[in-house]
This record gives sequence, C-alpha cells and structure tokens, in this order.
Amino acid sequence: MNADAIDLDVRRETSRGLETEEMTLNMGPQHPSTHGVLRFVVKADGEVMRRAIPDIGYLHRSIEKIAEKVGYHGFMPYTDRVDYVSAMQCNQGWAMACEKLAGIEVPRKGEYCRVIACEFGRLASHLLSVGATGMDIGAVTPFTHAIREREYINDILEELCGARLTFNYMRIGGCAWDLPPGFVGRAVKFLDRFEPLIDEYNELISFNKIYVERLANVAVVSREMAIAWNLVGPNLRGSGVKYDVRKDAPYSVYPEFEFDVPVGTGERGTLGDSYDRYMVRMREMEESCKILRQALAGVPEGPVVAKVARMFKPPAGEVYVRVEASRGDMGWFVVSDGSAFPYRVHIRTGSFAAMAIIEELSKGLMIADLVAVIATLDIVAPEVDR
Amino acid sequence: MQQLADYLLAEGFLSGLPKSVGYVLVVAFFAFVLLNFIMLVAGVTSWLERRVWARIQSRVGPNRVGPQGVIQWLADGIKSVLKEDIVPEAADKPLFKGAPYLAMIGFFGAWACVPFGDGLIVADLNVGVLYITAVTGLVVVGILMAGWSSNNKWALLGGIRSAAQIVSYEIPAAIAINTVILLTGTLSMQGIIKAQGWAPWNWFLFDNPFTFVAFFIFFVALLAEGNRTPFDLPEAESELVAGAFTEYSGLRSLLFFLVEWGNLYIIGALCTTLFLGGWQVPAFTDNAFVQGVLQMITFFLKSYFLVFVAMWIRATLPRVRVDQLMSLCWKYLVPIAFVNLLGAMLWVVAFPHGNIVMRLAMFGFGVVVTIYFFSRVASHLRRARPEMTWNPIS
Amino acid sequence: MGLGAYVTNIRQTIGTIFEGMAITASHFVRKPFTIQYPDRTDIRVQDSLPFRYRGILDVDLEICTGCLACERACPIDCIVIDAVKDKTTKEMILKRFDIDLAKCMYCGLCSEPCPTGSIHHTPEFEGADYSLESLVRRYVKAPVVAYKPPKGAETDPDVAPILARGLRYLDEFASPGDAK
Repeated sequence: MNADAIDLDVRRETSRGLETEEMTLNMGPQHPSTHGVLRFVVKADGEVMRRAIPDIGYLHRSIEKIAEKVGYHGFMPYTDRVDYVSAMQCNQGWAMACEKLAGIEVPRKGEYCRVIACEFGRLASHLLSVGATGMDIGAVTPFTHAIREREYINDILEELCGARLTFNYMRIGGCAWDLPPGFVGRAVKFLDRFEPLIDEYNELISFNKIYVERLANVAVVSREMAIAWNLVGPNLRGSGVKYDVRKDAPYSVYPEFEFDVPVGTGERGTLGDSYDRYMVRMREMEESCKILRQALAGVPEGPVVAKVARMFKPPAGEVYVRVEASRGDMGWFVVSDGSAFPYRVHIRTGSFAAMAIIEELSKGLMIADLVAVIATLDIVAPEVDR
Repeated sequence: MQQLADYLLAEGFLSGLPKSVGYVLVVAFFAFVLLNFIMLVAGVTSWLERRVWARIQSRVGPNRVGPQGVIQWLADGIKSVLKEDIVPEAADKPLFKGAPYLAMIGFFGAWACVPFGDGLIVADLNVGVLYITAVTGLVVVGILMAGWSSNNKWALLGGIRSAAQIVSYEIPAAIAINTVILLTGTLSMQGIIKAQGWAPWNWFLFDNPFTFVAFFIFFVALLAEGNRTPFDLPEAESELVAGAFTEYSGLRSLLFFLVEWGNLYIIGALCTTLFLGGWQVPAFTDNAFVQGVLQMITFFLKSYFLVFVAMWIRATLPRVRVDQLMSLCWKYLVPIAFVNLLGAMLWVVAFPHGNIVMRLAMFGFGVVVTIYFFSRVASHLRRARPEMTWNPIS
Repeated sequence: MGLGAYVTNIRQTIGTIFEGMAITASHFVRKPFTIQYPDRTDIRVQDSLPFRYRGILDVDLEICTGCLACERACPIDCIVIDAVKDKTTKEMILKRFDIDLAKCMYCGLCSEPCPTGSIHHTPEFEGADYSLESLVRRYVKAPVVAYKPPKGAETDPDVAPILARGLRYLDEFASPGDAK
C-alpha cells in the first residue's frame, strides 16, 4: 500500500483548543464480517469515518493466467472459482465466449438447461447475500433460514450435476448432464415451498423497523453516480437505473420468458440507499422463481450439447460476451490466437467496481455502516481478486 | 441472613467465637453457596441460549455432551480454563488482569439483594433496588478497563460504546423503577413483593396502564444494560469480533461471559420482583418449608421465563447502531418514561389503594394480546405447513 | 420530527418486532433441518447421494484401456499414467496409475472422455488423512495388461459387471447424439 496515500493520525485542533487525533484502524483480512478476505484501512474520527481505503488482492489466484495454460475445455472448472457463490453464471459466460469465437450453436434443450441452472444459481447467490447482510446487521436467524433454503437448492443442483458449489456443469456447446428423471417435479416442488418463505423472510427481517433504520438513507448512490462508477446488477438497479443484460442485451433463451426487472424505488428512504439495493435482491428472487417456473414447464426435447472437438481450436480473434450474473453484468473477454490455448482471458466482475465506490461512499458514514455498505453492495472477494 | 447468623450464634453452633468472626463465617458460607448457584445458572443459561437459538434457526444446538447436551457449558468451561493465558505485550497488565474481576464483583454484589422467597434473601436492605442498580454499575468500569487496557483500538471502541450505552440506559430504568416505587413506598425488594399478590391481576404489571408501559421500558433498558441484542453493539460480532473482550482468552474471557449470562438472570429477577409478583404463591400449606420451596420455584420460573424471552429477542432482532441507540434512549425512552411517571403519580393520587376494575381490565388486555400473538404464530405455521413437525428433542 | 412521525415510529417498531417474534416463535415447533452426521442419520450419507455425485475418484483397472484420455483432460495434472506398448505382444502395459487427491478439484473432466468408465467419481467424500503422501492413490500395484474391449458384449463374468457399471456411469453424461 502506498504509505503516502494514508496520512496517519491526522491531528486537528478542535474549537476549544483541545487536540484530537484521527484513528487509523485496520479492518483486516481476517474478519468475521467482510465477505471473504478484504482489507480496509479506516480513518475514523471516533465513530464517524473519514475514509475507508480498500486493499484488495488477498484472494488473487491468477485465474486469468491459468487459462493460458489449461486450454479452453480445461478452464471450465476454474470459472466456477471466479465467483463461487453463484458458479453457474460464470460457467455460462465462459461457454458463451468460446461458442462465439468458434461459431458453435447450442441446442435448444441445452439453453433451457442453462437457464434453469443459472436461475437456481441466482436464487442461491441472492439468498446468501441477503442472509449475510442480515447477519452483518446483527440478525443471526435470517442467515440460517437463507442457508437452509440454499441447501435445498444445492441438493437440487447436486442431483443435476454432482456437486454443490463448484458445479462445472456447462461445457462448450451445451451442458454436460441432462436433466435427470423426476428433476422437473422436484424443482417445482421446491419452488412451491420456497415462494411463501420469501414472504416470511420479508416479514421477519426486511420490514423490521430496526433493520430498516440501519439500512435506509445509508450510502445513497444516485443514478449519475452509479453509472459514473460503473456499478452493475442489483447495485445499479437499486439506484433506479432499469438495466438488465437479460433484457437489454439478451442472450440464450431469455427473450422467451416473461419476467420483470425490479428497480429500487426509495420506498423507505432515499432512492439508491442500501435498503433499495437489498430489496432489489429480494424482488429478484421472486422474478427468478417466475423464470424457473416457465423454463421448467417448457423444457423441449433434444440433445443438450453440440458436437465440439476434443481439441478445441477456435479461429484467431477476440470476443467480449456479457452475462447477467448475480452480482451484475459479468464480461468475458477472450483473445484467441488460433491455438488450443487462449492468448488472453479477462473477466470483468461487478464486485470490483463496487469495491471502488466504497471509498467514495464511506465519507461521513459510521463504522457500523461500513459493514452494512459492503454487505448490500454484495461484494464477494473471489470476484474482486480472481 | 442476619437473623440466621444471630440464631446460630445464640444456639451455640458457633459459640466460643467472637461475634464478628461468626458473622464473617456465615457470610462466607452464603457467598460460597450463591457463587456455586450463580455459576450453575450462568452455565445452564449458556446451554439453553444455544439450544433456543438453534431451534429458532431451524437447527439443533449442542446435544452431545451429556443428555441433550446439558453439560456442554462444563466442557466449554474446562476448555477455556485449560487455554493459554495470553496477555498482549503492550497491554496495561494490571488493568488487563483486573478488569474481569471488577466486572465479576459488580455482578456478584447484586445477588445479595435477590429475593428467592419469603425470608430467603441474603440481605434485605431497605434500599434494595437502589443498591442493585448501583452495584451493577461496577460492570461498566470493568468493561471500560478491559477495552482500554487491551491496547487495541477496536476493543477501545467497544468499551466506550458500552460505557455510553449502560450509563444512558440507567435513566429510563431508574424512572421505570420509580413508577413502581410510587405504588409500594419502599425500596426494599421483599417489601415490593409483599405489596403484590399471587394472582396475575394483583401484580404490578397489570395494576394500571402506566406500570404496564413501565414494564416494557424497564425490560428494554435492562436489555441495554446487559449488552444484549438489540443493543449488543459493544460485542458486535460482525464488526468488532468481541468488542471490549477481543484480546481476552481462556479463564478471563470466561469470566466476562459468565457475567453476561448471569446478568440475564439478574434482569429476570429484577423484572419479576418489580412487576411480576416475585415469589408470591397462594398459601397452600402451613408448612413453612414447603411454602419456601414453592416460592423459590415460582420465582425461578418467572425470572427464567424472562431470561428465555431475552434469548428469543436476541435471536430475532438485528443490532441497533450507536447513534440510533442513543436517540432511542434520550428521545424515546426517557420522555415516555417521564410522562409515564407523571401518569402513575396522578393515578396513585386518585386511587391510593389501586382499582380492581383497572387491574382486571389490564389483565384482560394482556390475555387478549397473548391470544392474538398465538394466532399470528399459528398463521405463520399454516403458511409454511410442509415442514411442521413437533419435535422438541432432536 | 413531528408528533405524527414520532408516534408512527413507535407504532412501527412495536408492530414489526411483534411480527418478527411471532415468526421465530413459530420456529420452535418446526422440525430442525440438521442432519446429525455421522452417527445419527437413518442411512449412511454416502448412500443417499445421487449417482452423479462427484466424490473421490476411483479407477477400475480391470477395464482401463490405457488410452490416457483422462490424463490429457485433467486441467490440473493430477493423474500420472505410465503406459507402454509391449513390442512383442502388442499389448498396452500399465506400469503406473497415480491420482494425487490433494490436487484433484473434482471437476469430472477426466471421467467424461473415458471409453469404458474405468475412472469415475464415487460417492465417497471422507478422505481426510494425516499425511500428504497417503493422498496420492496408486492404483497399479504390479504392471498389468490394459483392457481391450471385445467386439461384441463382454463375456468374462468378472469384468462384465464392472464394465456395465462403468458404461452406466458414462451414460449419465450428455452426448450430442441424444434425442431424448
């Protein structure tokens, strides 16, 4: 860290001639709250923060460089680890990028399976996010309820692809496994069980006065600020910008489904505060349930994967593909030089931009609010550092 | 207890000893008995808290050590004692080592005035309530010392938050106590209980609407004093690891946590004494011993129910932020408590001996609220029907 | 803050806390979700996992053809196979088949290209051990001849069930020709 960037312990004279110091605190990489290993150097005047400087890189695993070694097929399990909280969408991003490079078309049933998997992944990720937000604010029960539902989703995805967190479900050209017999019935049964629980979850914590007071009017991000700072996903939609990659730059079979894009409305405070971002996630869960019901009802017949060579050599070129991951617009930039190994892979994630805006937002917030801000911006460390 | 000491000396059990030594021996014996009782209660409270939390969170708490896990606290205690005693190098050593003991003294001293039954009290001071409120203030000093001496900015923040919180919330608590004292005229714990009756409508809780409101103000203020959620900012886990107690390990941290869990019981005992009729039971027999046992059980059950409610609240509610905590105290609780006190004063002037109609009406109101609560619980269960199975022990 | 807002705050606080406590109270009579692994489950957890579960790898050497497809497919190079073609008998001899479980990321990319389903994931997940060396599973104890799949059905009664299971495992994977 650049030591000049942090003036340690600025001394100030108060109006009565007493000396006061700013504290420099370290909210270190090991911490029970922050979502993964993130570090903040907080300069605080008592309880009120002056600046919170993020320090990233603790979870850097050189995933983008590894792609140059393992090749196109072998990189698929690594994409799970880019955002392990919602791994299906990362799989889809990589698969779409490779398919666009080589001009492969995915069969319709494969697209449907992808949508089902991604929407379940979105449900799981949002559940974790709202649960973790609740826990950071102090309510421990909603977290366990959210994790309980996430475990049910993990069970469903386990019978689909064999793993619970790092799915490696998709392949270039489609999906690796077809829907097992009885899957649709079990998935619909889960949705029937889950939708009333969203209402119960809302009544337990989302509408709780203490919770609302903690999140409303905290860290307001205006429309202009959200666009200028490159926020995406629920963070952007919480500030009132109705932008969703599934609607505005559609991919896969999303145009065939009817769903709404929830936007923050400033219902309990200002437009663009933390409560709006949180409620956008809750509402997105309901929309994902709608998409899932439509997808499960309309699964077509046919193969789920197209024929792709074992040694995958796309023609030279570059491609940029966007998917709507749980944390927003995830961009996959792949440069191919015609060989079996990509020349460069870059992944643009929503959490990285959200980390940047925290320093701006933290001016004047209290230390207790910093945790709330990190939680409602839904920052996961693997996405930030890759 | 003084009567017991005098009785023993007179009967010659401790003859041959000067009076002061005899007193000291009796006091030491009772202190020893109480200390064991407190440790047991605090330990079992920690186990119960984990089980209650777990059921609320759809999981099973500790259930392996002993039948249903009841001696989990013993295992945790032994583990804590065997841990390495770490004192941070730059910490202020005398303060660091002394802080837990100061907190223990403050907490332990309050037990001298807790009435377990008629005549079953260590010292029936005629300023009992005031004494308890004053002595529990020593815990603040202990926490502040812990926060400061740890040489850790996060611990310091936690200690200062805690001091501000406890000192602020003493005021609504004291005003709520005054609301009850208006009805009894005495500060002595036994006197307050004797001014109530065994029937619910004879409790001060249902005496008039002002004491009803005072009960909730008092309960909330005591939760804040005991650093319990929604006011557990000093120990906010997600922010400060353990707040003022971050640097403590082993036996010292165990003492702090024992103080916290034992304090829960003091909260329950105070609320029971002031509002829920204390140990009052109807006179079943003439046998003083059986009556005494019944009274003890009643008191214990009532205060433990309030402990259970405190645990339940902790599992349900999120944390309140520091500035919101202060504004809650000074802008909401204190004015409401004052207005309440005025109302209670007017009521006592109008009805010096209480009004049975109002008591029954308040009791009816309480019953209606309870029934409404259970109907809400039932509606939630109906909505989430597929998973309902009654299984208290799992 | 006007009187109206003040009273509304109090009313909302009491109301929402009441509702929240009713929900948590309803949880007291609900069944907990915990599976008390490992000793208080109805059936062994490993038996309750789906067939596709990607647990610890296992190799059925009886049906390994020595094609090295798994070694090439593994992105993390945790499979090491020594297979030489015997010049006189023209048979593949497997000298070494090591899987380093410490490196394996359970992605399933190795089991997909296997022609007979010899390398496959098992529902086993309890592989923790005290030494790192024990995590390298060596499947070849002595050099063996690799398997040569027959033209028709497999007739050897020892190998047939293993091959059937392997092919069933491979069947789970989707292929471009599926028209279901």
